[in-house]
Amino acid sequence: MTARTSRRSTSTQNPHERREGRALTRGERVTLAAIAERIFPATDTPGAVDAGAVEYIEIALAGAYASLRARYRRALREIDLHARQTSGRAFRELDGAGQDRILTDLEAGALSAVKNGADFFRLVRQHVLEGIFGDPQYGGNRDLVGWRIVGFPGQRTGYADAYINRVVDLPPIAADDTSAP
Amino acid sequence: MTVPGDRVADVCIVGVGAVGGILAKELARAGLDVVGFERGPALQRSDYAARDSIKFTVRQNQLEWVRHDPVMHRRGRDARASLRYTTSPANALGGALLHWTGQASRFLPGDFRVFTNEVASGLADRAGADLTGYDITDWPVSYEDLEPYYERFEWEFGVSGKAGVNPFEGKRRDYPLPPLRRSARGELFAAACQRLGYHPFDSPAGILSQPYRPPEPYDTRIPERPACVYCGHCNYYGCHVHAKAATLYTAIPAAVETGRFDLRTRSRAFRITTDFSGRATGVAYFDPEGQIREQRARVVILAAFVYENVRLLLLSGPEGASARRGLANSSGMVGRCILAHGDVRAAGVFDDAIINGFIGPGSAAVRIDDFNGNNFDHTGLGFIRGATIGTSGGGTPVERFDVLPPDVPRWGRDFKEFFARAYTRTFELNMQAETLPHPENRIDLDPRRKDAWGVPLPRVTFAFHENEARLRRFLADVGRRIMEETGASHVWTDVKASPNRWAGGTRMGDDPARSVVNSYCQAHDVPNLFVVGSSDFPTMAGYPPTCTIAALAYRTAEYIARQRELFR
Repeated sequence: MTARTSRRSTSTQNPHERREGRALTRGERVTLAAIAERIFPATDTPGAVDAGAVEYIEIALAGAYASLRARYRRALREIDLHARQTSGRAFRELDGAGQDRILTDLEAGALSAVKNGADFFRLVRQHVLEGIFGDPQYGGNRDLVGWRIVGFPGQRTGYADAYINRVVDLPPIAADDTSAP
Repeated sequence: MTVPGDRVADVCIVGVGAVGGILAKELARAGLDVVGFERGPALQRSDYAARDSIKFTVRQNQLEWVRHDPVMHRRGRDARASLRYTTSPANALGGALLHWTGQASRFLPGDFRVFTNEVASGLADRAGADLTGYDITDWPVSYEDLEPYYERFEWEFGVSGKAGVNPFEGKRRDYPLPPLRRSARGELFAAACQRLGYHPFDSPAGILSQPYRPPEPYDTRIPERPACVYCGHCNYYGCHVHAKAATLYTAIPAAVETGRFDLRTRSRAFRITTDFSGRATGVAYFDPEGQIREQRARVVILAAFVYENVRLLLLSGPEGASARRGLANSSGMVGRCILAHGDVRAAGVFDDAIINGFIGPGSAAVRIDDFNGNNFDHTGLGFIRGATIGTSGGGTPVERFDVLPPDVPRWGRDFKEFFARAYTRTFELNMQAETLPHPENRIDLDPRRKDAWGVPLPRVTFAFHENEARLRRFLADVGRRIMEETGASHVWTDVKASPNRWAGGTRMGDDPARSVVNSYCQAHDVPNLFVVGSSDFPTMAGYPPTCTIAALAYRTAEYIARQRELFR
C-alpha cells in the first residue's frame, strides 16, 4: 500500500520552497507523510496521515520542537535521496514493502545515507505516535481517531464504578469539550 | 550588589514544597517569624491541573517548573555526564506533592535497622550477599520514634487505607479514610497473590477516598477537600479536584494565614551565609528580578530536593576543592551515598480481561510486602533487602505506546493491531527495589555547566552495584510468576529502568564523622542549620520516601520550636 495524503496541496510553487508558517517544504512533507503512514498504516481504521500526525509534527517543529527542525529536514531529504539513488524513485513513490525495507534499515542504523539514522527513526516514530494519540489541540488525533482506535474515552473528569473492568462504551471527548461531564 | 535585609527572621526555609510547607505551618503556628524561599512560581489550578497529556507527560521538560533546573547525570566517574530535565523536584510552590502518584506508605520498622538486622546479625553472610564497597548504617531514629509523626501526616493530609491487612506493617492506628476503590488490575493481582499464598492489601494512598477535613486533635484549620473522581490524570498531573495530598492547598495557605510566614516565590537561594564562628547567618538569593539579596535568620533550614540540599551545602562555607569543601561537611559525607530505587517491572496483556488502566489513580494499587525489606528468607539468595510489589500501569494512550512485549514490532500494521487491543488489556507490576548506600554514588557540582543564574549545576554520579543487580533479577522472576498466575496471555519483565526516587546525600546519624545531620536533621557542624528531606536517609526502603520525609519534617519542626536558645 502506498502512502495516502488526505489533503492534496493546491500549490504550484517550487516543492523545495517552504510556505510561510510551515516547518517543512512540500517535498519534505510528502516524505514525512509516507514514513508516518508506514509507522501507523491505514487498515480498517485510519492511519497516521488521516489522524493528523503530519500536521502535529509540522506545528511542533514550528514551535515546541523548533530545535529539531533542521534535523528533520536534513534526514527527510537524505532518506528521499537514498530512495532515488537506489531505486530511481522518490521514497513516497515506492510500494509499502520498499518503504519498509528502507525504514527497517534506518531503525537498525544500517542506512549510511542518513546521519544518526537510528536516532532519527526513534524520534520520528515517537512524534508520529504523539500525533495520533496526543491531545487534539496540538494538531493531531483528528476527530479523536487515535483514542477511538484503542478504546480510550478521552480526557474525562472522572468515571463511575461501572466502568472499571469492562469496555468503556462512552464516546471519547477532549478536555476542552464543553459537553464533558 | 548585595542588598542585606534589615530584619532578622527567626527561621529561613529554602524550598517550600512538602517539607518546607509543613515546616512553615508548624513553625509559624509556634509563633516564630518565618521566611520561605521557593525558586519556582506559585501555580494556579489552571497551570497544574489541565487534562493535557502532551503538556504533562510528553513535553514535561518544557514545563515552567522543570525547564529552568536541569541536572547533570553520569553512570560513573569515567562516564560522560549529560543534561537531564527532571520532574522530581517540581520547582514550584508545593513541590513534587503537586504531581506525585500518591503512594503513601510508611517505611517498615526494619527499614531503619539494616546494619543491625542484616549486616551485624550475619544474615548478609547467610544470604551470600556481596556488600563490597557499600557503607551501610542504621538510622539514628526508629520506626517508633517516627510513628506519631507519620500519623500526623496521614490525618492532616488525609491518607486512604486500611490498617491490619498488611501483616508486615509496623504498629499503627487506623487510617482516617477507607482505601480507594479497587481497580480491575488490583482484583486480578490480589486473587493471584492469594492463590500463591502471599498477603495482598490495598495500598495506602495520599488521595481522598471520601471528602475530608482533619478532625481533633489534628489541625482542624486545614479546609475540607473533596474525594477523588478517578479521572486517572494523577502521576505528573496536578489534581483538578484537590483530592491529592499536597501542601499547596493545605499547609502553605495555613502558614500564610498566621501572618508570620513571609513567602517569596521565584526567589533562588544560592548560598547559606555564615559568620566567623561557622554559624549560619542567613541566605543569599536571587530575587525575581535577578538581583542578589540577603536575608538574615537565626535558623536556616534546607528543605529542598536531594539535588538542591546537597548543592547549597557545597556552594556554601569555605571555598576550595577539597573533599571536605562546603558547609557542614567535616565528615566529607555531603553528597555521598545517594540512594534510589532500581524499579523492576513485570507486565502482562490479557486476551479477555478488560483492565482500563486509565481509570483512577496509580496509587489505588494492591500490593504485597512479602518480598520487601527483610520480610522473607534471604538464605542463599545472594543479596539482602527487597521491594514492595504493587499494581501499576495507568496513563493515556500517548503514555502507553511503548509498553510492548519484546516480540511485538514497534511500528507498522502488527504494532497497530496489537496496541489497538492491548491498551485496555494491559497492566504492570512495579517493584521498587532499593539500592544500598555506596560512597561512589554521589552528587557534586558540575565543573562546567551552570544554570541561567551562573550557578554550577548539580552532577549526579550513580551506578547500580552487585546487590541491586541480584535483587532486581530475583524480583523479575517473582513478578513474572505472579503475572502468569493472574492469567495474562503475554508476560514480560524489565530490569533496565533508570534509577528513580532519589534520597541520601546529607545522611543522618549519631556519629559526626560518618554523617551530616543528627536525628533531628540538625547539622553536626552548624547547630543553627537544618537539612530536612529524603537527602537525610542513611538507607532507602522498598517504598517511596514521601511519608517518611513528611514525618521527619513534623518531628524537626517540633524540635526546633522547643530550642528557644537558637532564637536568642
